[in-house]
Formats: sequence, C-alpha cells, structure tokens
Amino acid sequence: MTTPHKSFVLMLEGVNKTFDGFKAISDLNFYMDEGELRTIIGPNGAGKSTLMDIITGRTKPDTGKVEFGRDTDLTALSEHEINRLGIGRKFQTPSVYIHHTVFENVLLSLKGSRGVFAALFSRTTPAQRGRIDEVLNTIGLAGKGGRLAGSLSHGQKQWLEIGMLLAQDPKLLLVDEPAAGMTDEETHKTGELLLGLAGRHSIVVIEHDMAFVRQIASKVTVLHQGSVLCEGTVDEVQNSEQVIEVYLGRKKKDKH
Amino acid sequence: MQFKPRNLELWLMVAAALLIIVVLPCLNAFAPETSWLHVGNFTINLYGKYLCYAILAISVDILWGYTGLLSLGQALFFSLGGYMMGMNLMRMIGELGQYHKPIPDFLVFLGWTRLPAFWKPFASLPFALIMAALVPGLLSAVFGFFAFRSRIRGVYFSILTQALTYAACLLFFRNSLLMGGNNGFTDFKFILGHDLRSPVTQRALFICSGVALLLVYGVCRWLTNTKFGKIQRAIRDSENRVMFSGYSTANFKLLVFVLAALIASLAGILYVPQVGIINPGEMSTEKSLEAVVWVAVGGRATLVGPILGAFTVNALKSWATRAYPDLWLILLGTMFIFVTVFLPGGMVGLPGQLLVLKRRYFSRTPKAPPAANPTPSPFVK
Amino acid sequence: MWGAEEKSSVPFLEMNVFSKLSSVLLCGFLLHGLKAGAQEDPRLRSSLARAILSAEGEQQSILGELGESGSPVVREVLNAWVRDSLFAYDLDGIKIPVLLDDQSDAQGKVRALRVDDGQVLRDANGTELRFQTADLTAVDTDARLRGLIQQTLDAIALSDPDPNVRRSAVLKLGNSQKLKNVGVLQSRLAKEAEKTVRKSISEAVALLELGESDPSKQVAAANQLRRLGAIGSVASLQSLASRSTAPAEVRKAANSAVRAIEDHLAVVNFFGTVFRGLSLGSILLVVALGLAITFGLMGVINMAHGEMIAVGAYTCYVVQNLFGAGFGFSVNLPFHFLGHPLGFGLRLPGLNATGAWYESYFLFALPLSFLTAALAGLVLERTVIRFLYRRPLESLLATWGVSLVMQQLFRMFFGANNVQVNSPRWLLGHFSCYDVSLGYNRVFVIGFAVLIVFGTWLLLAKTPLGLLIRAVMQNRDMASCMGVRTGRVNRLTFAFGSGLAGLAGAFLSQIGNVGPGMGQDHIVNAFMTVVVGGVGSIVGTIFAAIGVGAGDQILQQLTGSPVTGKIVVLVCIIFFLQWKPGGLFSIRSRNLD
Repeated sequence: MTTPHKSFVLMLEGVNKTFDGFKAISDLNFYMDEGELRTIIGPNGAGKSTLMDIITGRTKPDTGKVEFGRDTDLTALSEHEINRLGIGRKFQTPSVYIHHTVFENVLLSLKGSRGVFAALFSRTTPAQRGRIDEVLNTIGLAGKGGRLAGSLSHGQKQWLEIGMLLAQDPKLLLVDEPAAGMTDEETHKTGELLLGLAGRHSIVVIEHDMAFVRQIASKVTVLHQGSVLCEGTVDEVQNSEQVIEVYLGRKKKDKH
Repeated sequence: MQFKPRNLELWLMVAAALLIIVVLPCLNAFAPETSWLHVGNFTINLYGKYLCYAILAISVDILWGYTGLLSLGQALFFSLGGYMMGMNLMRMIGELGQYHKPIPDFLVFLGWTRLPAFWKPFASLPFALIMAALVPGLLSAVFGFFAFRSRIRGVYFSILTQALTYAACLLFFRNSLLMGGNNGFTDFKFILGHDLRSPVTQRALFICSGVALLLVYGVCRWLTNTKFGKIQRAIRDSENRVMFSGYSTANFKLLVFVLAALIASLAGILYVPQVGIINPGEMSTEKSLEAVVWVAVGGRATLVGPILGAFTVNALKSWATRAYPDLWLILLGTMFIFVTVFLPGGMVGLPGQLLVLKRRYFSRTPKAPPAANPTPSPFVK
Repeated sequence: MWGAEEKSSVPFLEMNVFSKLSSVLLCGFLLHGLKAGAQEDPRLRSSLARAILSAEGEQQSILGELGESGSPVVREVLNAWVRDSLFAYDLDGIKIPVLLDDQSDAQGKVRALRVDDGQVLRDANGTELRFQTADLTAVDTDARLRGLIQQTLDAIALSDPDPNVRRSAVLKLGNSQKLKNVGVLQSRLAKEAEKTVRKSISEAVALLELGESDPSKQVAAANQLRRLGAIGSVASLQSLASRSTAPAEVRKAANSAVRAIEDHLAVVNFFGTVFRGLSLGSILLVVALGLAITFGLMGVINMAHGEMIAVGAYTCYVVQNLFGAGFGFSVNLPFHFLGHPLGFGLRLPGLNATGAWYESYFLFALPLSFLTAALAGLVLERTVIRFLYRRPLESLLATWGVSLVMQQLFRMFFGANNVQVNSPRWLLGHFSCYDVSLGYNRVFVIGFAVLIVFGTWLLLAKTPLGLLIRAVMQNRDMASCMGVRTGRVNRLTFAFGSGLAGLAGAFLSQIGNVGPGMGQDHIVNAFMTVVVGGVGSIVGTIFAAIGVGAGDQILQQLTGSPVTGKIVVLVCIIFFLQWKPGGLFSIRSRNLD
C-alpha cells in the first residue's frame, strides 16, 4: 500500500483537517480497491465521521489529496456533484423523507437526471417502477411501497436509506453505523444485505459492533487520533497490541 | 396529509371558483339593492382584498409549508409588485392631482418640475406589469442565489429575509428614492382609462383577482404533484439526504423562492388598485408574519389551507377591528400562539388531529365504552 | 436603526447654527422670565424704565450700567425692545413702559406687565387693563439705539453665571465680524476664569481680527487660529484665503491655518466617530446580549425579546412616577357585565421626591427592570417557549404572537404614545475632550455595557448555575441523564436573558423614546448582531456589536446620510454571511444536522 496504483476506487493521501485547534484528521492515508468491502473502526473522536465528511465534500481538508477513481479530485467539488460521480452516503441517524411514501423515497433517489427543470416534467416510467420494486425486494420492504416512511420502524428506516443508496447505483457506498439501534436479528440481516452488495459496489462501513464487523469484514482499518493505526483482518486487528490498548480496552470500559 | 381526499378538494375549489368568478359579481351587478341577495360594492371590494391576501398566503405556503423556508420577505415582494402597479396608476392620474401638474403630486411637492426618467415608461401598463415581474424576480434571484449558496437555512434564512425587508422598508421611506416617501402612492383615478371608483371597474378587478387566485392555485397544485414538488418536500424533511442524493438543493430552493416572489408580486399588483394605496408600511416584517399567520391558521403544506386561512383571519380582523379595536392584536397574537403550539396542522389538519386524538384515547383506555365517539367535525377541507 | 435617537447635536455644526438658535430660544422664554423675576432688585427695574423713556445720551450711560448687572430681567426687556414688542402706555399723562403677557383671553386681549415694578398694569380703580397689540404703540428705536441695546445684551450674556451661555455669547460675538466687539471680549478675557471659555474668547478675538485692515495683524490672527485649532473659523479663513484683494502673505497664512485646522478636524471627527461607534456598539451589545443567551445558547428565537426591552423601559417609567407624583392606569374593556362596563385600574401614590432623591430613581429602576423583565421571561418560558425547544421556526412564530399581545397590553396600560422618561441630571450634558464632544449618557452606556458583559461572564463562567447552563446548552439529553433538572435550568436561563433585555430597556429609556413599539426598533439589529457574531458565542456578539456599531457610524460619515448608512450596513452584513455563514465565531459542529 505504499505505492498507489490506478485501480484504487478511492485514495486519500496526506490529509489533514483541524477544527478550532483540534486535529480531527492528521496525515491520513487511505486506499480502497474496486469492489472491496472495508470496515473502519476506532474510538470516539478518532476521525471516522470527519473522514466521511471529507470524502463526500461536506468538509474540505486543510491539506492533502482526495481522489476518486481515475484522477477525479474530490476536494474541489460540492456534495451533490460528488454524489453524482457515484458516491453514496448513509448517515448515522436514518435520514429518509418521513412525509413521503417508501416508493417515493426510492423514486427520488433513482439514478437519473438531477436537474431542476427535468424534475418539473419527469414522469415515472415502467422501467423505473420495476427498478424500485427490485430495490424494495433487496431491502426487504417489498409490498410496503405505499406506506409513509415516517411510519416505518427504526430498522426499516435504516434499510430504506440503504435502499435509497442502491437506487442511485453508486460505485462507492459509505455506510455510517448501519447497525446502530437495531435488534440482533436486524443487525444480522443488515450484514447479509451489505455482503450481498459487495463486489458490485465498493463499500466502506463504519461500525462499533464487533460481532457485526466480524460478520461482514474482509479488511478492517483502525483509526486513532485522525490517522490509520493499523489495517488487516478482524483477527489480526483484534490481536494487535496497539489496538487493544487504544480501542478495544477502552471500549470494554465504556460498556461497564 | 393522508386524510386528504383530493377529489373533494378539487370539487370544492371548482364550486368556490364559480362562486367567486360568476355568482358574486352577478349578484353585485344584477340583484336589486333591496334584495337580500344583493352583494354590496363594499363587500366586493373587501372580498377582492381577501383574494389578494389568499394569493400572498399561497406564496408563503409554497416556501414555508412545502420547502421549509420561512421567508419574512414576502411582504417585500408583495409591495414591490404593488409599487410597480402604483407607478402606472400614478401616471394615469394625469393632471387631476391636487397641484394640477402633469407629474405626480409628491414630485411637485419635492420640487420637481419634470418627470424623472425612470418614471416615464410606467405610463404603459404592460411595462409596469413586466417590471412588477422583473424587479421582485431579480431581487429574489440575487438574494436567493447568495443565501442558498452559502447554505443559509432555517431561522437564519428568516432573520436574513427580515433584514432584507427592513433595509428595503428604510429605503422606500426615503423621499429621495422618488417613490413617494412615507406616504407612498394614493389618490389613484384610472386604470386603463376606466374610473377606479366605479363599481364596474371594481367588479372587474375582483374577477381578475379570483381568476389569478385560481391560476396560482392550479399552478401550485400541478407543481406540488410533480417530482419537483416531491423534492421540495424532501428538502423540507431532510435537506442533507437530498443533497447527498445528488440534487443541488440550492437550485431547487432558488426556483421556489423566485416563484414565490412572483406570486407575491402578483398579489400586490391586484391589491393596489382595489385598496387604492401603497406605502412602505406594507413592506414590513410584521406584514410578512401576518401572512404566515394566515397559512398557519389555515393549514400549511396544503393549498386550500392558505386560502382558507387568509379568508378566515381577515374576516375575523374586519369584524374585530370594528367591534373590539383594542383587543384585535391580542386576539391575533393569542390565536397565533395557540395555533403554532397546539394546532400545527391548522384548520385543515384539525380533523386529522382529532382522529389521532380519538385513536389515542381509545388505545390508551381499551375498556372504555366506544359509545361517545368524538366524530371529527363535519367540516372536511 | 442601529441606535436610539440622538439627543446631542453634532459638535462642529453647533457653532454655525448657534446664533439663530439662541435668538429663537430667548424669544420663547421672554415673558415667563419676566414674571419669575418679579422679586428682582427694584432699582434695576426703575433704571430700566428710565432708560426706555429718557433721551439718547442718558440712555447710553444707563444701558452701560445695566450691561454690568447680568440680570435676566434686563435681558428680556431689552430683547423685547429690539424686537419692537416693548410698548409705552399713557397712564394719566405718565408714560409707562409695558410688556404684553403671552396668554390672551377670550377676546384675544392680553394683560400688560409694567417694566418698572413687574406688576400687572391697572387703571386708577385697580382693575386690570387689557390690550390688543394694535392698541399700543411700540417704544421707538433707531439703528444706533438697537446697536447699543444689542451690545448691552451681549455684555449681559458674557457675564452670565453659566459658562455654556458665556461660551455661546463669545461664539456669537466672534462670528459678528464687527471689530468693535474685540474690546468687549478682551475685557471679559481679563475676568474670565473658566478655561474653555478663555479658549473660546481667544478664538473669537482672533476670528474678529482676521477682519483687520493691517496685514500683519491678519497674519497674526490666522496664526493664532491655527495654533488654537479653531474649527469654527475654517469658513472665514477660507474666504480670506481666496479673496484676491488680500495680500499674499495673509492668504498664505490663512491657507496654512485652514490646512492645519482641517487636519485637526479630521482627527476630531475620527475620534468622534470612533466614540459614537463605540457607544452605538454598546447599545447594540446591551440589546443583543440577552438575545445571545436565549437565541445563541438556547436556540429559541424570541421575537418578543424587543418587548422584554420595553418591559424594562416601562418599569423605569413607573419607578420614575412612583418617585414623583405617583402612577396609575385604568383599562376599560369593551365588554359589559350586568349593564356595567368592565374594566380595571390601579392608583399608586408617589413619594413626591425632589432633587437628588428624585434623580436617584434610576438606580432603583435598574435592578427592578431586570427583575420585571426576568419575571415576564419566566412566565413566557412556562406558558409558550417550553413547548417549542426543538422547533426553532415555530418558536419564532409563537413568540411573534406574544410580541403582538404585549405591544397591545403596553398600549392599554400606558397609552399608544411615547411616555416621558426623564434622565437624571448626571446623565445629561456632555464634556469636551480635545474638541471631541463626549455625552455623559454615551460614556455611561459604554461603562454599562462593560459591566453587563462582565456580569454575564461571571455568571456563566464562575457560578454553579453557569456551569449547569453551559451543560444543558451543549447537550440537553446528556445533562438530563446526569441528573440536571433541565427544565429549571431552561427557565432560569431564559429569565436571565429576558432580564438582560429589561436592563437594556432601562438603559434605552435614557437615550431614546419609550413607547409600545420601541422593541421593534431594536429587534432586527439585535438578531443581526447575534448572527454576525456567531450564534452561541458571547464573545462573537461583543465583537459583532462593536464592529457593526462602528461600521454604521463610519458609513454614516461616508455616505452622509444615516439611512443610507444603515442600508449599506445591512447589505454588508448579508454579504458578510456569504463569506462566513456561521458568523465571526462560529461554533463548528462536526456532526451532520
């Protein structure tokens, strides 16, 4: 991983970001292969969410390179432009349009024109309906298309939001704590959902729940104090002295 | 909103439109004055004013109710439209002013002997109307462009539009703007050569306002049903999600903002000849907020709500300012507090809210006999 | 918009308009003064009467004596004389000089007051005589006599006990362009003890000497003016410099004096602007600080904040009346009960205090206005705000309703018009520091703002309550989980913010109008200040207030019109927020939403 080559879907090099004197990200290097499913873990304040913000254009890094695919510089683009390149993001708290139906939620996310005037005259085509049904099937909400998104359970909202990302057909999916607030069963289903998507999409998952990480992870990146502490499989990471010290140890304390 | 039987709404609108555009003017024109069916000139004029308010209320609603942008600048765009129309009406006075000069009285008063250049083309009504679209349109486009570009939203947007309105109000109070200073424009005589005071003209203006309201209603109804309308509401509920779905929310908001400004301006254009005066007092934040009250009382995020609210609150105002002039503001204020705190859906949302209450009541006390069932009010919006 | 009405005039304009102003004022006070002076020295009155009726030569000498007296009676009679409103009445062959009263009766006739004893003119039977102006003939004057009288009047003004009156008289003489006045001024200079008056006299003398025919004297005068930095002499110097008939060295001296004085003026204006900007900023700060707490810390958009200011101001008004004649109100409701109109009222007796005791009312009003506004805030929080903590847009709307209700209540209790709140004497007037005029009330507002900011800082940073407030504002849920009674903290915080608004109101009552709509004049500014400073940052609010205040004053100077200046400031703020949407000191959140 020292020599970057061009098959990376995402590449961050030497990224720094400071908030009011607090170094959120310091000299971070991060590379991701096409089709990879990557999990990022790290204690609170390690810079996980800031990393997501930087990739999606919500926050501009002070220094460093952020590139997507072949030479697309993300630092110069705004959120919606980055999204249009094929980077979808799921927020930590489910954010769906609660006053729209499930169907409409997915419809608004479907890949297609994003212009103002196109929106005025667009009609829903049968092909689009088919695609929406397909997505609803994938996320286990088939037959619930007519319900208001606000009336869904927490877990269903999380899936709906993942479904909205799928509808965009992104190259890269950023998923922030998808299992937060879910039952064990829902968590498991979410894991399977993500595994099913890997390969067709590159996916970055931020997660705290180690069981969930173990279920999905091929490769884990541990963030600490704004930079990468170590990378490897779940076992490698869990047995790393450094990680036990800064992360797992502390997490156990938090739990009790 | 799921309690909305849309076809019923359409039928009601058609009935109301017939009433407004055909029946009322006919009763005014043809029913003998002694008959109980007769609709007086005063009533026609008053309802004409309400129609303009209803248009203004819709403009507030498509911003606030549908997009989540609480603009306190709608009164500004309303007045700008009114001012442009007023300029034409001022030119139409001709030499019938108090000073009997070919230029408006206030200019004579300020020591002008010739018409300032920018006043000249306003002799033509089409020009005035074009300006009434251009001026508010451009102002809202420029302001909106900057505000939305720098992600000003929520209360910050409200505060900023409030400041904009305040600045414009200060500007129009100045005599040196040559827009009538704090007296504004008044004493209009003619519109398109017709005597403004004659019942026939007033009736025509009334019908125009009715048609305009219907058109605005129709356009907004169409708009809110398109994908654009869906995105609008999506922005209201979760702007970040929309932005991270690849939509440039700034552009969407900008278009809505400009459209709302144009609708407000249209209301102003129709308002001025019917009321006969326009001054900077109309441009204040309070006037904008008053329009927000109409929407809140009627029911936001619906299109019937603002119309209903504008009529109800203003009819109440007409009555209360005569019956209890001292208590009117207290009544208005209290009503507003009550509606915002306890009736977020307004009048239109009331049946739904009662339904929810009923359901909650029965689910909490399942053993209670279901006899005394609080039927939702017979009023269905 | 950025502040209250100016009660003091711009210092360097004062001189030019002064002469007109003073004559108007004197005219207005003419007859009141005469009646008040009834117990004046009778000798003065009789010599006055003598002067009026005697021959020319004698007049001159009597007038000279009268000039020494400095008596207001003399001043007023003489003023009437030059204005042809002094009359001679023939009472049984004896001419009696009289002045006419200013209150006319039903027939439009007025009483006459005798100059010689100050009594009402009566006929032999002791009945009051009444006249119309046309019934009487004015006492004759000619140009020479009028000049003489004017001189006497000037001399009287020059020996007035009030240094400000003396200074004004000096300025007037200095602008008279009559060289003969130099003597009067110089003789006064010998007696004068007051430093500022002495400086004015030197200026006036030099100004008059510019009109000398001797070029060397003119040069000396110009140099003297330059040394003194006499701002009021610029116009005369300029006209001298551009007069082609004047000798070259005179013009050169005048030119250099003009340049020097203009430099001086620029410095004075600069500091004047800075000072006014600072005081305006302080007003903004005082007004916005409460808002910075309720809006910035609590996230509640309180549109009724302006009315909290008015609560404070009206408290001041009530306390003032309680120290004076008492306070009462009565409200009639438009309802009837069993045929009786409904209404209520209250009458509180006053202390009828006078002097320093009366003036100290303000010291009592300050804490009271804090308390009443805080109480009002508490009620508001309990009844409305607490339902809306997570709905800022709706808190804006509901509190606007509150503001409407409160404005109407003010109208019902205190009337629709502005009420009169008298400033204690120690807040009136101003002092000059190197020609920069500093109003006491403005100095006071700056000090007051510093105090309030300091107090707020102490409360937030150093008290247990402050700790709780900060905890709740940062994370309501967490604080609640940790056992903080968030409801109580909210109540106290809101009451504190409202109380600060009340203090601002007490303060504004001293420098601006107090009326039902006064809150609305300040609310836009207050919101803009908080937004520019960065919501949630008290330090930001302080900087924004001072920045906006100074910007407003500077732009007023540059654009030459207060309104244009304000509009430009507003537009600048809108653009500023483009550049820094979070304000000067934005509390940046790393979370979405």
